[in-house]
Amino acid sequence: MKFDDILTMILETLAMVTISGALAYLVGLPLGVLLNVTSQKGLKPCKWLNFVLSLVVNILRSIPCLIVVVLLMPTVRTILGRGTGEWYTIIIPLFVTSFGFVARMVEQSLAEVDKGKVEAVQSLGGTNFQIITKVLLPEARSSLIGGLAVTLVSLLGYTSFAYNISAGGIIAGIWRYYSQNTGDYLEHPVFWIMIIIVILLVQLIQELGLAISKKLDKRRILQ
Amino acid sequence: MPVIAIWLVRAEIGRFYGEKGWYHVIYSRPWSVFKDEFFIGENMSEQFILKIENLSKKFGTHQVLKDVCLEVAKGDIYGILGLSGAGKSTLVRCINGLEKFDQGKIVFNGKVVTFDRDYRRQVAMIFQQFNLLDQRTVLKNVMLAGELFGEKDCKERAIELLSLVGLSDKLDSYPSQLSGGQRQRVAIARALMSNPQILLCDEATSALDPDTTQQILALLTKLNRDLGLTIIMISHQMDVIEKICTKVAIIDNAQIVERGNAQDIFLFPQTDVSKKIIYSGHINTSVDNTKFLKLIFNGEIDTPIVANIIQDCNIALSIIYADSKVVDGRVYGQLIFTMPADVKDAQKLCKYLDLKQIHYEEVVASEIR
Repeated sequence: MKFDDILTMILETLAMVTISGALAYLVGLPLGVLLNVTSQKGLKPCKWLNFVLSLVVNILRSIPCLIVVVLLMPTVRTILGRGTGEWYTIIIPLFVTSFGFVARMVEQSLAEVDKGKVEAVQSLGGTNFQIITKVLLPEARSSLIGGLAVTLVSLLGYTSFAYNISAGGIIAGIWRYYSQNTGDYLEHPVFWIMIIIVILLVQLIQELGLAISKKLDKRRILQ
Repeated sequence: MPVIAIWLVRAEIGRFYGEKGWYHVIYSRPWSVFKDEFFIGENMSEQFILKIENLSKKFGTHQVLKDVCLEVAKGDIYGILGLSGAGKSTLVRCINGLEKFDQGKIVFNGKVVTFDRDYRRQVAMIFQQFNLLDQRTVLKNVMLAGELFGEKDCKERAIELLSLVGLSDKLDSYPSQLSGGQRQRVAIARALMSNPQILLCDEATSALDPDTTQQILALLTKLNRDLGLTIIMISHQMDVIEKICTKVAIIDNAQIVERGNAQDIFLFPQTDVSKKIIYSGHINTSVDNTKFLKLIFNGEIDTPIVANIIQDCNIALSIIYADSKVVDGRVYGQLIFTMPADVKDAQKLCKYLDLKQIHYEEVVASEIR
């Protein structure tokens, strides 16, 4: 296996994770805000809407990723022209499994914002929309960034299912390497190098997320 | 000319019937544009900036507020005192719409309040926990109040207000870098951004140490005096209310049990709850029929009265409660001591006080505890 192949696999994995992550936040962030706002203690409690959204999110989250991949194969084929074999064919299933998770994390982050801050801005005449954009999201930003890092790491794990539809990426690459060298794969340095690359990727995402989250959190500045 | 004459007559009728309330149904309809200036403005809004009428609220089956009535005049510093859970916090939150109520109404400047955004700008609030946005600098926190109404040039005013509260050197600090007192100052500056007429203080000094509390109270007094700001403050701390309030209401068990001038209520508390709050922790005696004598300082005594009693009557006194403050150079307050055990001594003492024209009352322990 050549260096170029590994590089391609890394880029494929990164593309899968970032594009599906971006899509998941595009839908999951507003959904999470809506879940928080309509909850019993939210800005505008709305029982039925909260119930319906929660149900959708819970159902989506409880279907295992592999099943989502299988279920969505025809849909992916309709949208992208092919259902397997290319790196981008895994993106829609990854997006579908993760946006419910994202919504829950966003909801949780917003719930951590002190209710007193919301009341203070209400008493200043702030509208609900202003409270979302000027209080809830900015005050929860470091927690939201932390959540983003967790989401990206779990998406990276999910890219392993790309193996099942020959969509590539580094984790699928490791499995393929094993299946081609079943007898002595543990003795090949390349096999270990690829594993180390995955570990480094995870560490990179996590540490970067933590650093940004800390940098943005003005609660911890000392005198 | 005739039109003006009719106008004036109507204005007079409005003034005359103003307090009865039904006049404007009859008279003001064709003149609704002028209603505020000619009728209500003359009668109600000048007198009372805020009127709370028969406010009631329940949390489930628990009555939190029951038929609460309150009248706040412009420029008042109105204190609402009560023990924890009496409903005072709910009351103040009802005033600016953070809490809904079941019955009654709130009248602001002669109009029944609908809790729209403009009303909220008129009635600002500060909190026990300050409730600043942690991720914004001090300046941005204050500017937020202008931002909400799309004011682009609110920076200068924010800086002005921050220097008014004494924080012009902290503009770019974050709330986490400030002390409690400084945070409350930022909250006050933020509340003042919209030029409010009323400032509600929800236990605003309860999280602060005594020194800082005094500083914040001094600042509030200054704002009341310089800006004509009407202040409604709730607290469970007697001394905070006593220090700055001109009017006081005492709330207990969802109801207002006593209200009026601060001086009157602190000198002559009528109800058990008021006495409990005012003398809290001062009087502890196991014998309930111990007699006490309460001297009232109503601003007219300027002699060292206790020393005089001891010298002139030759009686030893043991003081169990004393409290006074100086307003405009006169001493107001009260002094409670045990009645001399000897009947003759007691008679002598009462005679002496009568002679010196000092107001006093006989009270028993169970009354003042």
